[in-house]
Amino acid sequence: MRSDSSLFSNRWLPILLVTPLMLLIVLFFYVPVFQAFYWSFFLEQPFGGSSEFVGLDNFRRVLSDPEFWKAGARTIVFMLSASSLAVALPLILAIAADRKIRLSLPARNVLVWPKGVAGASIGVVFAFIFNPFVGLMAPLNQMFPGIWAPGIDGTDAFLTLVMAHVWSGIPFNFVILLAGLRSIPHTMYQAAAMDGAGPWRRILDVQLPLIMPQLFLTLVLEFTESITSAFALIDTITGGGPGGSTTLLVYKIYVDGFRGYDLSGASTQTAILMVFVLALAACQFAFIGRRINYER
Amino acid sequence: MTAIDSAIRAAAAQIELIGVTKAYDAKTVVIPPMDVVLRPGEFTVILGPSGCGKSTLLQMIAGLERVSGGKIILGGREVQDLEPKHRGCAMVFQNYALYPHMTVAENMAYSLKVAGVSKPDRALRVATVAKMLGLADYLERKPGQLSGGQRQRVAIGRAIIREPGVLLFDEPLSNLDAQLRHDMRIELADLHRRIGATSVFVTHDQVEAMTLADRILILNKGRVEQFDTPKVIYHHPASVFVAKFIGAPPMNILDVTGDGTALRLADGQAVARSTRTGRFQLGIRPEDVAAGPGGPITATIRYREDLGSHEIIEADLCGQQLRIATPFGAEIDASSTLSLSFPTVRLHLFDGETGMAIADAFEEPQAVRQSVKVHL
Repeated sequence: MRSDSSLFSNRWLPILLVTPLMLLIVLFFYVPVFQAFYWSFFLEQPFGGSSEFVGLDNFRRVLSDPEFWKAGARTIVFMLSASSLAVALPLILAIAADRKIRLSLPARNVLVWPKGVAGASIGVVFAFIFNPFVGLMAPLNQMFPGIWAPGIDGTDAFLTLVMAHVWSGIPFNFVILLAGLRSIPHTMYQAAAMDGAGPWRRILDVQLPLIMPQLFLTLVLEFTESITSAFALIDTITGGGPGGSTTLLVYKIYVDGFRGYDLSGASTQTAILMVFVLALAACQFAFIGRRINYER
Repeated sequence: MTAIDSAIRAAAAQIELIGVTKAYDAKTVVIPPMDVVLRPGEFTVILGPSGCGKSTLLQMIAGLERVSGGKIILGGREVQDLEPKHRGCAMVFQNYALYPHMTVAENMAYSLKVAGVSKPDRALRVATVAKMLGLADYLERKPGQLSGGQRQRVAIGRAIIREPGVLLFDEPLSNLDAQLRHDMRIELADLHRRIGATSVFVTHDQVEAMTLADRILILNKGRVEQFDTPKVIYHHPASVFVAKFIGAPPMNILDVTGDGTALRLADGQAVARSTRTGRFQLGIRPEDVAAGPGGPITATIRYREDLGSHEIIEADLCGQQLRIATPFGAEIDASSTLSLSFPTVRLHLFDGETGMAIADAFEEPQAVRQSVKVHL
C-alpha cells in the first residue's frame, strides 16, 4: 500500500489508526449480520445446545405464515406514510424558517431539540399525549365518546405510531433540509424575482430542484430508518397491539425471538428484512440518485 | 443593424430618481436623498469604492431593495412600490446567478416561461438571442459545463431576452480574468449599441467606467460626487475624491499653501504660481508631470517600475508621495534626485478643507485647454 501523502509515509500507522473502528464494526455489525444469516439455515434450540441444519426449511415456514405477510404489509404502509410525512413536514418547516418569517430564529432552535430525546422516551411521552382519558384527545372523546381509542382501535394506534415517528424525525430532516436551503445563493432568488417568479414559483423551480441532494438523503435515511427504528416506539406506546395491528416486522422479530423463543424464525425474518432494506436503498440510488445534479 | 438586432431591440426607458433615499435606521443612512436622471438609451456607469451604496442603488431600481423614501420613475411610470417583475428591468448579477439545474436554453427562457409565453415562441426567442451572443452551440449544456465567459453571456442573454427597457449590471465582469474582462467590455459596448436599452452598470473599476460609459456617476458614501461624461470627469474632476478615483495610477494630490505669490510645499518650494492665499490641495496626473533637467521642483526617487512602454517613478516630494509616468520612449537618469516641473495648464486646484475643485484656478488660455491631450 503506497500513500501519496508524506504525512502518512509509515505504512502501518494508517492501519493502526483504523483498527479500533474496524474491530468495533466487525464485532458488532458484520458478525451479528453473518450470524443471523447463518442461523436462518439452522433450527436453533431456545436454550442453546446443538443446532440442526435444515436448509431452506425456515424460509419456507416463515413465508407461508400469514402473520409474516400481514406484518410485512403493515411495515410497508408505515414506511410509506410515516417516512414521507417525516420528510414533507420538516421540508415545509425548513422553507418557512429559511424565508425568515416571524419567530423563525427561535423555532430553528426549538425544532432541533427532539433530536436529543431517545426513541423510548418519545414513546412514553406520546403514549401519554395520546392517552384517551388524560391526553390531548380527551376533550374530543368527551364530546364523541369512543372516537379516539388507540387501546381498542387498531387504526388509532397506528396513527399514534406514525405521529410519534414523524415527530421524532423532524429535527434531523429539518436540519439537513434547512442547511440545503441556506446554501442556495441569495442572488439565485433575486434572479428568479427579476425573471418574474413569485414565492411559490421560486419554491418549485429553484429551491426544490436545488435541494434534491438533501431531499434524497433524508428520504433514503427515512425509508430505511422507518423500518428498523420503529421498534422503540412500538414497544413503549402500543406493544404491538391492539390485536397485532401495530406489529411491524421489526417488532414481530423481537416477539418471535425473545418471547416465543423461535430463534431460527426470528433470524430468518431478520435476514429477509435486511435484504429488503438493502434492496430498497439500492433501488432509490439506482432510480432517483443517479438523476440528481450535485453540481451547484 | 441586422435583423437579429432589430428583433431584440427594446424601447429604452428613462430612469428618474427623485429624492430616492435608503436608510436602515436614523443613524445608518446608506443613500441620502438623491435626484438623478438617466436618459433613455444612455449607458450610465455607477462608480465608487465598496460600501458606497452603488449596489444598493441598483437594487432599489430593480426592486430587490425597498426605497426608504423618494420616487423612482421608469419610462414615465412610478415604480418604487412595484414588484421587480412589473418594473420592466432585467439584471445581470456579479456571480451570474444562473440556475444550475437548468440548461442554457432553459435559463434564458425562464422569464418567458413564467410570463406564460408559448413554447414555440420561447424557442424562437432563445434561438435569436443565442445567435446574437454566440451561444447557439451550447443551448443544451448546463451552466456547470460552461466557461466563465460563456456563463456571463448566458446571464446577459437571460437579461435581454425579455427586451427590457432598462438593463442593470451589478459588477458583471469582476469574476472574469483580465483578458476576458477586456473582451467582454468590448462585447458589452457593442451589445449596448445594438440593443439600445437604458443601461446602468455598477463597478468599482475605473477602466470599465471610462471605456463603457456615456456618463459616469461617481458615488461617495451614497452621495453623488460627480455625474458627467468620462472625458469631463477625467479632465475636470469635481473633487479630490473623483480625482483620486479616476486614472491609473491615480492623480497626485499635494498639500500646498498659497502665500499670495505662489503655492508652496511645506519646505517652501514653490510648485505653481498663484495669487491665492490659504491651504489647498494641488492635483496633477502622473502623466502630466514633466521630468527632466532644469525643472524648478526637486524630488527624491524612491522606486521605479519599468513597464516597457513607459516608466512609473515613485518619488518623495517634501514628504509627500508623487507618482510620475514618463512619456513613451523617454530616458530618465537613474540618479536619486529628480528635477520636475508642473505645467500650469495641467494643474487642478482643490479646496484644502472640503476637497471640492476650484474652477479656473489658474488662468489658462482658452486655446491650450482645447488642445488638452486625451489620455486613455
